[in-house]
Amino acid sequence: MRYFLSALLVLTVFAGVTAVGTLHQEQLEPSIFLYITSFFERDTAAHNAIAAILLNYRMYDTMFEALILLTAIIGMKQFLPTSKELRDADE
Amino acid sequence: MPMNSSDLAEQSIVLQVVIGFLYPFMLLLGFYVILNGHYTPGGGFQGGSVLATLLVARYVVSPREDINSEELHRYQRIFLALILVAPAVVLFPGFLHSYPRIRPLYLTVMDLLIGVQVGFGVGVAVLRFAFFEGTGKTWRL
Repeated sequence: MRYFLSALLVLTVFAGVTAVGTLHQEQLEPSIFLYITSFFERDTAAHNAIAAILLNYRMYDTMFEALILLTAIIGMKQFLPTSKELRDADE
Repeated sequence: MPMNSSDLAEQSIVLQVVIGFLYPFMLLLGFYVILNGHYTPGGGFQGGSVLATLLVARYVVSPREDINSEELHRYQRIFLALILVAPAVVLFPGFLHSYPRIRPLYLTVMDLLIGVQVGFGVGVAVLRFAFFEGTGKTWRL
């Protein structure tokens, strides 16, 4: 019964969120899209809009993306034993 | 355990020769993707991943644990600090806006920094997992 109720809750929330999402779709003016595709070469001297967005318009995104890699490596160093530790534990 | 010298002698000679032949081309492709970054979508991350395959290839040919991953991680952190500092010095105060001449230089330098940083980072991750797996004692943990 509990499993049934929790499954029902999950399905209800999913249906509700989907319904709200589909009923209240707003079409915004694509002003940023138009601006970037028209002026990225003048603004940033990049020859590709994606490179311009990554390195100029959305630089914070790239910075924190680089930090994610550092976080992953720190987690790996914390939780994976080195082969020396494995050898010591073996002896 | 990492392989000792008698195991190394049993390594496939075909693999060694082919990877030895491809090694400079992998390096070249990695730096080509990085330095071509502002003509193509992305650049830094993809080129860095290509550079990290150098370490993977080296591990495939000779799985000895003689690369200090601490050292690689230190270089990665240095390059990461440069990635955080460079936009704060050049981009955010608006120097690119006032001096349009340095825009291509900024893009190239940032691509290079990101590429080398990702190369070191993915390399550390791959080596760490490879030698963790290679010890063959994971089931005892």
